[in-house]
Amino acid sequence: MWIDRRLVLQFDWLLFALTFSVPVVGLVVLFSAGYESQGKILDFPFFSMEVKSPVAARQVMNLLVGLGALIFGLLLPPKFLFRLSPIIYFLGLTLLVGVLLFGTVSHGSRRWFALGSFNVQPSELMKFAVILMLARVLGKTPPVNGGYGLKGLFVPLLIILVPFALIVKQPDLGTGLALGATGCMMVLFMGVQKKILAAVLIFASILLVPTQTVPYKPLVLEALKPYQQRRVMDLLNPGTDIQGSGWHIHQSKIAVGSGQLIGKGLLQGSQTQLEFLPEHTTDFIFSVLAEEWGFLGSLFLLFLYFFLLYRILFVAGRSRDLFAALIAFGVGAQIFVHIFVNIGMVIGLLPVVGLPLPLMSYGGSSVVSTLFSMGLVLGVAMRRSQFAGVKV
Amino acid sequence: MALGMYDKNLPNLVLRARVTVFFLGVAFFILMLRLWYLQIVHGDYFRVQSESNRFKQVYIAPPRGEVLDRNGVVLVSNRPSFNIELVREDSPDPERTVRKLAELVDTDPEVLLKRLRRVDRKRRAFEPRLLIQDVSREIVALVSANKYILPGVEVRAVPARLYPHGEFASHVLGYIREIGEKQLQSGAYPGYRQGDMIGQAGIEQMQEFMLFGKRGVQHVIVDAVGVRIENLYYEADRAGHRVTLTLDYAAQKAAEEGLGDLRGSVVAMDPQNGELIAMTSRPGFDPNIFSGALTGEMWSELVSGKSKPLSNRSFQGAYPPGSVFKIMMAVAGLAEGVVTNNEKVHCPGHFRVGRSRPFHCHKRSGHGSVDMHEAIKRSCNVYFFTIGQRLGIDRIHEYSTRFGFGNPTSVGIGTEVSGLVPSTKWKKEYYSKPEDQRWYPGETPSVSIGQGALTVTPLQVARALSAIANGGTIYKPQIIKRVVAQESGYLDEVFEAEAVGTLGVEPWVLEEVRRGLHAVVNEQGGTAYVRGRLPEELGIKMAGKTGTAQTRSLSVDGEGEKDIAWFVAFAPVEKPEIVVVVAVEDGGHGGVTAAPIVKSVMEAFFRSEQPAEDTESTTESETAA
Repeated sequence: MWIDRRLVLQFDWLLFALTFSVPVVGLVVLFSAGYESQGKILDFPFFSMEVKSPVAARQVMNLLVGLGALIFGLLLPPKFLFRLSPIIYFLGLTLLVGVLLFGTVSHGSRRWFALGSFNVQPSELMKFAVILMLARVLGKTPPVNGGYGLKGLFVPLLIILVPFALIVKQPDLGTGLALGATGCMMVLFMGVQKKILAAVLIFASILLVPTQTVPYKPLVLEALKPYQQRRVMDLLNPGTDIQGSGWHIHQSKIAVGSGQLIGKGLLQGSQTQLEFLPEHTTDFIFSVLAEEWGFLGSLFLLFLYFFLLYRILFVAGRSRDLFAALIAFGVGAQIFVHIFVNIGMVIGLLPVVGLPLPLMSYGGSSVVSTLFSMGLVLGVAMRRSQFAGVKV
Repeated sequence: MALGMYDKNLPNLVLRARVTVFFLGVAFFILMLRLWYLQIVHGDYFRVQSESNRFKQVYIAPPRGEVLDRNGVVLVSNRPSFNIELVREDSPDPERTVRKLAELVDTDPEVLLKRLRRVDRKRRAFEPRLLIQDVSREIVALVSANKYILPGVEVRAVPARLYPHGEFASHVLGYIREIGEKQLQSGAYPGYRQGDMIGQAGIEQMQEFMLFGKRGVQHVIVDAVGVRIENLYYEADRAGHRVTLTLDYAAQKAAEEGLGDLRGSVVAMDPQNGELIAMTSRPGFDPNIFSGALTGEMWSELVSGKSKPLSNRSFQGAYPPGSVFKIMMAVAGLAEGVVTNNEKVHCPGHFRVGRSRPFHCHKRSGHGSVDMHEAIKRSCNVYFFTIGQRLGIDRIHEYSTRFGFGNPTSVGIGTEVSGLVPSTKWKKEYYSKPEDQRWYPGETPSVSIGQGALTVTPLQVARALSAIANGGTIYKPQIIKRVVAQESGYLDEVFEAEAVGTLGVEPWVLEEVRRGLHAVVNEQGGTAYVRGRLPEELGIKMAGKTGTAQTRSLSVDGEGEKDIAWFVAFAPVEKPEIVVVVAVEDGGHGGVTAAPIVKSVMEAFFRSEQPAEDTESTTESETAA
């Protein structure tokens, strides 16, 4: 039996509550963002009903499915995950190679396989595969003398770089960078020698050397595609191309800024309701919140996120098992990267990168995969005592 | 197995988690700072930005002001015209709809599609796009009947400019045409927008700001793709002001018909205040064609065609005045005392200056001994050669300038040419070689009879003759009587007589010259005795002067050598009410070609003034009100 009564008793209800407090806020925001004054009849599996915000209604369905995924993640024993991680990882790699060769082309990139009405995105699987594989490798070979040296870093970096390269090749820079950043944070969490950190910092500053001063263009940009270059340039030099590629960010900043302290009120955000705001149910959902709920509402969500991540770190920190702790940390890192990149993007701190805001953005795969990973963390939290005494 | 492994070499997870929480806090603090910066520090700015995002204006063109003649006859008005437009937000598939429309009205679909796309980028979805301009009523009916298969297609009635009398006074009235890119950028048309029809010539241009009116503005809320969400409020439009001209419909009509297919100009002026009673230039054009679609071919024919129909010969044609100038010479001679009223000059038919070639009188056998009166009446060249010689070129120049020659009249309805009055000073400035810069006495006789380098415009002549008729005042020519707000009737502007100079000569001098001009028409032997008299029943006598000037490359089209036929006159002789000047290019003898035109203009003018025939103008002023 995978679960016994002791485990149920140790269930982390606070983390569970925090996990679902975010999508509750998200549903209210989505209700406004997807509001249609005409209403719309939606067909659910067993019934039909008229809804004012079909997006919010479908998100409820996504969350229900996600709850199932969370429970499923909760039930997977770490031992099983440990054994399975190489298989998942190499299966993921195979699928990534396959999608590059045979995937469906959409908007100039190959990201998924079309299987009937479902789209299978191998990069979604890869996000977990990298976390699991890294947790396994780093857990097996923890750093000695306060941090990994060059030798110790070789295998972990390889685990990160191969899928990173394949995903960037699709091209899907956002997902690739999120995956890479998550992996790197896990490595850093375990510790890296100071001289290597210093070398990385120096290298990074070389990449930022300007190749052109007005408008500012760092060296690293030369490696990117033109549209990606343009996005970064828009960010570094705001206001130069309002009608062109900077339009999204421009409108988003107007939405956020015009929210002021207390916001325009639910359904009152003109940027959202009149659709000046692009992708306002998915990537730009935070702008909707900021416009309609103001600075106070934005801070409220930031605090929810902060406590969620804090609790995940708490789970990781007190775990008695390195593999399990690294899984929890990895999930936390991944959620953090998504939050930071997404919000950073919509408020004009970071370039436009298509990453959803976890548990806020509308979208089945994002909701389900995030809740599944939260299931893993809850599982880790729940089994803390197992690791303490019992040798499995 | 990693599971369950726990030894002291492992990293301290609790410590690491705590350090991570610190970095996490920093990251969230950065986000918070940025939010504070956007929402609190610059919140007002972004609030304004979001407001201006959603509010847009739709403009409605106001009806343009009417133009009337002095008696209220409508010269320019508006008619309903029908445009076929497409409102994109109402059309699911604009291209398909346009193709269907093209098939229905039998035009080239590509042309319409081009129009659809041309304006597509800038315009918002609720703003109609013009597909076909000014369609016939048959097409209106056809499109309306098939509206159900043409979603988004609308027939819109818009006021179009109507010049009900066609070519009538076209040069004075001008025409309207879409504002040009350069005009928009020049800053001379504040508040105007692309697509506005503005006056490009004549009164339409001169009074543009009065005639245009105030556009209506519909304020709307739009979404990001420009679809109208809600109408907010409407700022009503106001029709353009009504402009009443000094023109007299009947006199103008007589002038137009009198010139007919001839090339030339007729100017009629009230000598007592400078008001223009008629002004026409031939060939003319139909201003209606500019409101619709004008092909490039038509346009270049109008602008650069051989006969230059767009130019107003009344003040853009500079011609030698010929014998008409003898009027001014007579005034100068008498006023300067170089000749007396009774002095007789012998005319042998020719005249020499030193050992020069002979200057001929038009009567080769000579007029014999003539005094001032006879000289004017018979237009004796030798007499005026003699006076010219006595005055010298610079005194001729001075008097010409007093009469207003050599200077534009500032009538204001187009670019004027100044004409040219030669003088010693002019020669010095105009020529570069020293031998050319000298004024030779042999050049003066030509100028004395209105030839040589001397050129004048018909309008200048009308102004000068008015001064003779009114006792010496030079008036600025007026074309507008008043400008009135169309709806309220509020009088915006009244134009009053504006004296810009005087001749500065004794009254008897003008009296003497007027008697001479009277003789030209009314005494046997006068150059216009045969054709210049008004019908007996009017009981009005006129005074005038013929002129036949030879010209070389001085007319508007600048081709070849031809005669300018002049006749200038005023009536009634005792208290002049009208001055008429006619100049006909290639017109032969002034007394033959030009005099009948003057006569018919005068007839029309005096007949329309008689109260008995006033019924027509009463009905018209009712329509206008």
